[in-house]
Amino acid sequence: MRTRKIMNSPAYAEAAAEEMINSRSFWVDARMRFFKNKMAVVSLTMLFLLALFAAFGQVFAQWSYEEIDWSLLGKIKEQGGPNWENGHYFGVDELGRDLYARVVQGSRVSLLVGFLAGILAVCIGSTMGAIAGYYGGRTDQIIMGAFNITLSIPYIIFFVVWQAFFGRSLEQMILVMVIINWTAGLLIVRGQVQTLKNKEFIDAARMLGMSDAKIIFKHILPNMLWVIVIYMSISIPEMIMYESLVSFLGVGIQEPNTSWGALISEGAKTMTFGTLWQLGYPAAFFVIAQVSLYYIGDGLRDALDPKER
Amino acid sequence: MLSVQDLSIRFRTPDGYVHAVNDVSFDIAAGQKLAIVGESGSGKSQIALSILGLLAKNAETRGRILFENQNLLDMPTSRINKVRSKEISIIFQDPMSSLNPYMTVERQLNEVLELHEGLRGRAARARVLEALDAVQIPDAKNRLKSYPHEFSGGMRQRIVIAMALLCRPKLILADEPTTALDVTVQAQIMRLLDDIQKEYGSSIMLITHDLGVVAGFCEETLVLYGGRVMERAETRAIFNAPSHPYTRGLLRAVPNIHAQDARLQSIPGQPPNQLHPPEGCPFADRCSDSRDPCFNNLPPLDAGRHQRACLRPVEELS
Amino acid sequence: MLNYSLRRMMAVIPTLFILIVICFFLMRLAPGGPFTSERPLPPAVMKNVLERYGLDEPLYVQLWTYIKNILFHFDFGPSFSQKDRTVNDLIAQGFPVTLTYGFFSAVFVLVLGIPLGVVAALRHNSFWDYVMTGLAIFSQIFPNFVLAPIMVLLFTLSWGLLPGGGWNGGQWPYVIMPAVALGTSYMASVARLTRGSLLETLSAPYIRTARAKGLPERTVLWRHALKPSLLPVISYMGPVFVYMITGSVFIDVFFSTGGIGQNFIDAAYTRDYSVILGLAILYSVLTFALTLMVDLVYAWIDPKVRSGLK
Repeated sequence: MRTRKIMNSPAYAEAAAEEMINSRSFWVDARMRFFKNKMAVVSLTMLFLLALFAAFGQVFAQWSYEEIDWSLLGKIKEQGGPNWENGHYFGVDELGRDLYARVVQGSRVSLLVGFLAGILAVCIGSTMGAIAGYYGGRTDQIIMGAFNITLSIPYIIFFVVWQAFFGRSLEQMILVMVIINWTAGLLIVRGQVQTLKNKEFIDAARMLGMSDAKIIFKHILPNMLWVIVIYMSISIPEMIMYESLVSFLGVGIQEPNTSWGALISEGAKTMTFGTLWQLGYPAAFFVIAQVSLYYIGDGLRDALDPKER
Repeated sequence: MLSVQDLSIRFRTPDGYVHAVNDVSFDIAAGQKLAIVGESGSGKSQIALSILGLLAKNAETRGRILFENQNLLDMPTSRINKVRSKEISIIFQDPMSSLNPYMTVERQLNEVLELHEGLRGRAARARVLEALDAVQIPDAKNRLKSYPHEFSGGMRQRIVIAMALLCRPKLILADEPTTALDVTVQAQIMRLLDDIQKEYGSSIMLITHDLGVVAGFCEETLVLYGGRVMERAETRAIFNAPSHPYTRGLLRAVPNIHAQDARLQSIPGQPPNQLHPPEGCPFADRCSDSRDPCFNNLPPLDAGRHQRACLRPVEELS
Repeated sequence: MLNYSLRRMMAVIPTLFILIVICFFLMRLAPGGPFTSERPLPPAVMKNVLERYGLDEPLYVQLWTYIKNILFHFDFGPSFSQKDRTVNDLIAQGFPVTLTYGFFSAVFVLVLGIPLGVVAALRHNSFWDYVMTGLAIFSQIFPNFVLAPIMVLLFTLSWGLLPGGGWNGGQWPYVIMPAVALGTSYMASVARLTRGSLLETLSAPYIRTARAKGLPERTVLWRHALKPSLLPVISYMGPVFVYMITGSVFIDVFFSTGGIGQNFIDAAYTRDYSVILGLAILYSVLTFALTLMVDLVYAWIDPKVRSGLK
């Protein structure tokens, strides 16, 4: 049963929507709660530093990430370790390339892929969720059918198949990751929209002749922002993980370009020779990123999720 | 048979102690029916739980609960387990959640017999059926293998009651047995409890927030507020001559078809904060008859047949 | 129940069919193929090769032949890149390996994860509780592809306790590390889930009822609390199996177990389409089968679902 109230002023709907969405104090409160969480703040700082490292780390590198230091070839185990004098801060990899420069490049790729794919996937997922929840009926059925099929596909398998067929460029990689993960946040947004769409301010907006698209994007999705933010914080580290795993398997990023996963893979292959720095540095960066993202996600959940409060 | 003496219960919380029950005393004789009446949060359920040693882990108790001259409060779990269901059983408020949804009704009932009387198989089934018949579950024989969700709320509460009857306990604690049920079902369940009590001769301690339920059922009534006894007397006396302002307030909130003025009145205000219990009478700040001394002095409970804890004489109450 | 199982199995068939068709066309549409190498083959040879693998026929005929062979002969066709070997050969060789350590890994996940969760819940805020929380965060941060190298570093290179790879006919020292590396993070999730769910169950009113019956705490736990608190764990095993199948690809590659994951990745390198497609179908079937199994077990255990199916 739905009671439809007729609002006589167009401003009413706007105001009501405004009130629900931007209840400014909600975000102010949330920010306060987040910054009270020490682990989250430390993690945010770490992530910021990592981003700076990825963006500007190359400035301090004495070598490019593709260049081979011929002087070290053949004696990498003895002389290829971390050394400030020859400019290889993190040592060199098994081909004599500067590991510092490669870690910078790897961080760039991993963070870029993770953030882009993570954010895009959640945007698509929540939009689809909003559409499914808003229209219901047949639309809902189709979207949910696609959702269930996607969930039952082992993602790496699909990833590998795709990479095998369409080549291994960075764009392809982001594309396939979005395809695999387009369901992120879909279910919860759908559920929320189903309850939201019967709220009075949405009714009012509809009666004022606002288009469905405008209602969804202007009035419903903003109300859902907290869900979307939380899902992004879950999705991004997951995407970084996928990328790394696939690159580890050798079907991700292509040489000489690199990512954390590819570097870890190389390091793991050579650790039998005792060149542990080749595993240690990339693994450390990967782990730091994952730890930071984990605690940021945790902090965001605590700060935003009404259930956690 | 059961004698509760100066029982106090408090709960340790991060914010301090919550004093749920304070210095409550009462007795229940064999075959007697006692009602404990109070609003939610008055500590009435905690009294029932403390009798069976089922209080939450952060609870601390003081006083004594003597059952056949043994103090239940300092019995180890292994010994109190012998009392639970066998000597004293309890009927919980919500039949929807107080039965295990993943076990057949028969298993939930016969495990009691197995535990306390060593009955299994056919003998146990006969006793289970007897109990289910006593609570008037139709076609009980064919429903033994059903799960709780296959019964209606009223039927589930009957099953819970049957469970409480299995070992013919000396005392049944009924903690709001009808609150979660429809009004028509409520009356049926209360009648059933009454019949069973007559047949089995058990004592009953009925816990309720609804004085209306008590009226035709219990001989004696104890009114609890803020974890303290406000008034205790024969039920008839409570209804005919309530002597405590709180009891009077409660009675005004009960619908009465005989009353000329059919308006119901609720008691304004909130129950006391039991984290920092007031120094004086817990009811003082909601009481229309309170005077200055009420706020600073704890009224003692009179001795005698009609006990009350109020500083103001009955004649002066409005 | 039987009806439900059949219905669920029927539902898998169209999904699988769609999957095969999509994969098949992706494969044909994709640029390049197993025979496009740097040095192009002479046209005559090329024609010969295409004929041999049936690639010169119209697409729909190829698709039909492919599906027919799978359905009626359980034949996934020849490998394009490895001469004289069929996809069936590869599966027959690699699949038992993957299944073996996968099975032990699942056992490890359940046999360690559930008791750990139970202990952590019963000794709430105790040492074991903290061990478990630590483990859960640890596994979130160290996925199997970081954990596996670390394990090899410790158990093989430093202490020499276990072989760092290979299979050797599945002798147990060779199975341990693949199984543990594959399962650890899911073990931690299962433990965390068990803990949370048991804590919730233990505060349920029907547990209080069980205690009021006079049952000893042990019986309350085993008879009344365990089953309800394991239900979420069971339904979580569905996704876990899917993750583990995925993870097995990595394990096969890293530990050189000779499982199908290695073939799968090799085929992706060489664009050996028939192998990729065959293995992708196998992985999907495995996923569906395990998910279905989990759902059936759940339906069988939960009386509410069971009676809903009648």
